[in-house]
Amino acid sequence: MNEKTSTLKRWVGRPEFSSLLIMLVMFAITVYLQKNFFEQKSLVRTYNAFIPLILMAMGQAVVIISGGLDLSAGSALSLMTVVLTYIMKKDDPASGFTALLAAIGVAVAIGMVNGIGIGYLRLPPVIVTYATSYLWLGIALFLRPTPGGQITEWFRIFYDFKSVPGIPDFFVEMGKTIPPALWLLIIGCVGWFFLSKTRIVRYMYAVGSNNDNAYASGIDTGWTQTVACIINALFILLAALFFVGQNQSGDARMGDPMTLKVIASAVVGGIALTGGKGNVFFAIVGALTLSFVNKIIFFANIPNAYQTLVSGLIIIVAIAGSLVYSLFSKRAMLKEGMK
Amino acid sequence: MVVLEAKGIKKRFGGVIALKNGNLKCRKGKITGLLGANGSGKSTISKIITGVYSADEGEIIYNGRQVKYKNPHEARKDGIAMVFQNLSLVADLTIWQNIVLGSEINRGPFLDNQHARKLSKEIIDGLLPGLDIEKKVTELNPGELQIVEIAKAISENPQLLILDEPTAALEQAQVKSLFNAMRKLAEKGVAMIFTSHRIWEVMEICDDVVVFRNGEDVGSMDFLVDAKNPENIISMITGEAQTSRHQKSERTRHEDVVLTVSNLNYGNILRNISFELKKGEILGVGGLVGQGQYELMLALAGNYPEISGNAELNGKPLKLNKPSEAIRNSIFLVPGDRQLEGLFLKHSVYTNMIYPKLGLKDQPLFTPNARYRRECIDSVEKLSIKTHTIDTQVSMLSGGNQQKVVVGKWLSFNTNVLLLADPAKGVDIGAKRDLYDFILKMVREKQTSVILYASDFEELVDYCDRLMIMYEGQVIATLEGDEICEDTIITTSLGVG
Amino acid sequence: MNPAITNTRSNFFEIAWSRYKKSIVVILLIFLLFIAGEVLVGNFLSFGQLLLTMKLASYIALFALCQMIVIAAGGGGLDLSVGYTATMTAVLTASIMDGQNSNLWMAILVALAVGIAVGFANGFLAAYLKLPALVVTMAMANIVQGIVNAYTKGADITGKPSPILQIIAAKSTGIFPNVVFLLIVVAIITMILLYKTSWGLKLFGVGSNEIAAYLSGVDAKIVRWVAFVVSGVLASLMGLLLIGNLGLAFKDMGSMYVMPSIAATVVGGISLDGGEGNYFNVILGSIFLQTLTNLLIALGLGDAGKWIGFGIVLYVLLIAYVRNPRSR
Repeated sequence: MNEKTSTLKRWVGRPEFSSLLIMLVMFAITVYLQKNFFEQKSLVRTYNAFIPLILMAMGQAVVIISGGLDLSAGSALSLMTVVLTYIMKKDDPASGFTALLAAIGVAVAIGMVNGIGIGYLRLPPVIVTYATSYLWLGIALFLRPTPGGQITEWFRIFYDFKSVPGIPDFFVEMGKTIPPALWLLIIGCVGWFFLSKTRIVRYMYAVGSNNDNAYASGIDTGWTQTVACIINALFILLAALFFVGQNQSGDARMGDPMTLKVIASAVVGGIALTGGKGNVFFAIVGALTLSFVNKIIFFANIPNAYQTLVSGLIIIVAIAGSLVYSLFSKRAMLKEGMK
Repeated sequence: MVVLEAKGIKKRFGGVIALKNGNLKCRKGKITGLLGANGSGKSTISKIITGVYSADEGEIIYNGRQVKYKNPHEARKDGIAMVFQNLSLVADLTIWQNIVLGSEINRGPFLDNQHARKLSKEIIDGLLPGLDIEKKVTELNPGELQIVEIAKAISENPQLLILDEPTAALEQAQVKSLFNAMRKLAEKGVAMIFTSHRIWEVMEICDDVVVFRNGEDVGSMDFLVDAKNPENIISMITGEAQTSRHQKSERTRHEDVVLTVSNLNYGNILRNISFELKKGEILGVGGLVGQGQYELMLALAGNYPEISGNAELNGKPLKLNKPSEAIRNSIFLVPGDRQLEGLFLKHSVYTNMIYPKLGLKDQPLFTPNARYRRECIDSVEKLSIKTHTIDTQVSMLSGGNQQKVVVGKWLSFNTNVLLLADPAKGVDIGAKRDLYDFILKMVREKQTSVILYASDFEELVDYCDRLMIMYEGQVIATLEGDEICEDTIITTSLGVG
Repeated sequence: MNPAITNTRSNFFEIAWSRYKKSIVVILLIFLLFIAGEVLVGNFLSFGQLLLTMKLASYIALFALCQMIVIAAGGGGLDLSVGYTATMTAVLTASIMDGQNSNLWMAILVALAVGIAVGFANGFLAAYLKLPALVVTMAMANIVQGIVNAYTKGADITGKPSPILQIIAAKSTGIFPNVVFLLIVVAIITMILLYKTSWGLKLFGVGSNEIAAYLSGVDAKIVRWVAFVVSGVLASLMGLLLIGNLGLAFKDMGSMYVMPSIAATVVGGISLDGGEGNYFNVILGSIFLQTLTNLLIALGLGDAGKWIGFGIVLYVLLIAYVRNPRSR
């Protein structure tokens, strides 16, 4: 019984606890401001608005935990939407599968390029993914200089069940409470749940915490970080599937504003930028917090023009806050056991 | 039964000979103690056995075959594990995750955490019962960290386990637990090498002892056969009366006090240190490595903002909480790890030498380069720094010359107190002599007071007027006059006699 | 006796190589690009082309100066807010200047204020609180962008730059673009300030070895804070140049310079850990990037090609200059 209370106490002190608290507060305020929040249709709209960020935040969390950072997340998203809509043809259902396969291949390639740079070549993650972000942007612009492209009709399944021709009613009914976006999130969560029990994810924490010591323990740090980048790319792919299903087009610049939000979500969710710490599921909490705050701004009638301003401020406050928090807990620990 | 035998090991680092003839035998189920003063070679030979270093000459025979490991990982796979003092643990993982790190067992595609936890609990309970294996490594105190390190080494069922000063960070009760665990391992047939600077520990747990001095093994004692006589051990460590030990010709007595320090405290690292520094004297700080000497230097240079205690310089109170205070009072530190702390490796000798001047209060905007260059050339000549030009990058100089640059920085200042933190470490004989000649000159001419920490006893004997011996963060003795000789230093350092 | 200073007569080429290695590499790369251009496109090597390249490269180089200073101060510094800082100044001062020279001084004051404010905030968060500079400046860019959005409220920005600015930024004296002269002046001042004054040496020391600097009494936090302020002011002043060049201000004016400013610094071989600041090499890096852009555009690869090219170049040069092999 003593063990239970001490685990509870340990949990309260962690950054995850405060981020959960803050998210709940934001949630409460949002529900208060948006009277129809829990109506079916509005819930679905909320899912569609929130889930892409949530998925990408989870992926980013994986990379950060393993000691990296991915500034190319936004452009990677754009590139994937472009590739999907480039390959698909409206009247060719089979092209949907080809596009899907190609997109998976692109995601793995993106993950490998980033991973090799961060993991094997040991380049500073910030700059190397900054470089690759322009690489993805360039390729996307090359394929699609202006937004456009097309999808085959069944691809709408990633956005909205009822627009898929010939789909059984069962799905349409289910889609009213559990839309495709939510399914994508469930797939992501279940996938990560099982992954997190494997050796390579344990190694990600080790490598992110102390690369040299992990190496000295016989861990292949290069491969570990590369796998993290690939997993991130796959999460981004899930978000891309949704966007393509929704917009039915690809746009080389659509992902630009996402990158900062994605990183901020991870930080707000308690993932330390230094690596080795944090829980990917709490990136969900972070993304929710940011999304709720955006909703609050909207409902508080702050003019559109100010939204970027406010979201930038929030990000700084969030990051400063979580860092100050960890500074305090570190100092408390130092006082306890003088090193 | 001999598990491992090291024969004729030779090792040098640059110009310094760490081992000239190291021999060691480890027997199954026996705990062999390794003793020796600083620089005797005892930790070098351990590191060679475990693959951290590679021997220049000699052979290591393990289980009948000759081995030469390229890194500790190879040695571990072969059954030789070493417990370092720092640190092979990953901070953000829990104890049990660390213990199995790198050798986890799977159940299907997933990690078998149950097995890992069970194994870790067993090992930890054998070492320190009650330690919660779910704690993260960042939450542990130094003693607990050491236990986990040991646990990790044991978890791979080594045949030979080397423990390098494992008790340094442990409290009494933890030491007892450790010894119990070691005895159990011995019963299982594990061979062990154990080093400690506390002689009574060695006598309690070891089956036999090998003493190293000056890079070779000079004696051994098998406790099954010989009686446990600390006197004999100590005489083996210090050696018989040394021939032609350079005795400092005159140790001057100085009168005026320039610096008074009282009740200096910093966590567990510096405990209640009080002393006086007389003007114009060279006050030595000695003792075994890692007893807080280096930290004392850092503290006096104002490096620890949270230090407690009082200090007075020439009668006026002196704040020790930031380096700029020390510098303003002309107290300068020559740091020990020159590359890490004392030099801008990518910059020129010139930039390095004049840098402290820039920190002074009334610096002109445009650095008077002409004048500074002249002063720099002057210092370079005074210290005989061998460099192509003063614009040569400092990273290209030899260790000894680099060290001279570190010292030379403070040359043109009127120094009140010069803090030397192992200035000649790793420096070849010639450069060492130049360095000390110069420091002595400064002391004589400018009446600079010097606090000198050296890990090499010879330096302390040769140059100090008085000598403080530190042990576990405290000053346990102050030697004066004839007391400053190698024997006395060593015995005092060991906390005996 | 030991002759303290020995002057061994090494091969002249050996000395030149070790000292000027990085500059030589960049110059060679530029030559390669020009030759490739001649071969693939023709008419690449004309004098007019060179001058145009210099003019455009000057803009990159001036922004890159901001990066170089922040990077040189060490601690992983970077300034991603330079683009929007410039934009904000351009937007704010457009109507102040209104095409007249008389209000230029006011515009300059506004520019300084903006630069100091942004730089101060960046410095506080990144240098003093030690938050990661990348995220801080990225968020700051967002904030500044937000302010610009709020200020313009979506409408077009009215106002024109003072003629003086146009002369400096856009026009040429004879065949030489004036902005190149400006660059030369700035470069000389920079090198003097960095290499001949105590500020510069302090900066390099802090970037090179924070601990050693600390032990010598120089506080890294303050020095880095100042570096961010300088970067902010420089970026802000660049806004005046940008509006002078284009004749008007619009919302995303500065964003296209951020990535090249960082890339130019890396191509110039400046260590990303800090402690180095050879601006001449950064200028060479800017010329290289601009030449690459010209080549890619001439090959018909447009914007897409430019970004792919930059991305690859940066990646490759990171490997060449920045690799962090495991220390064993």
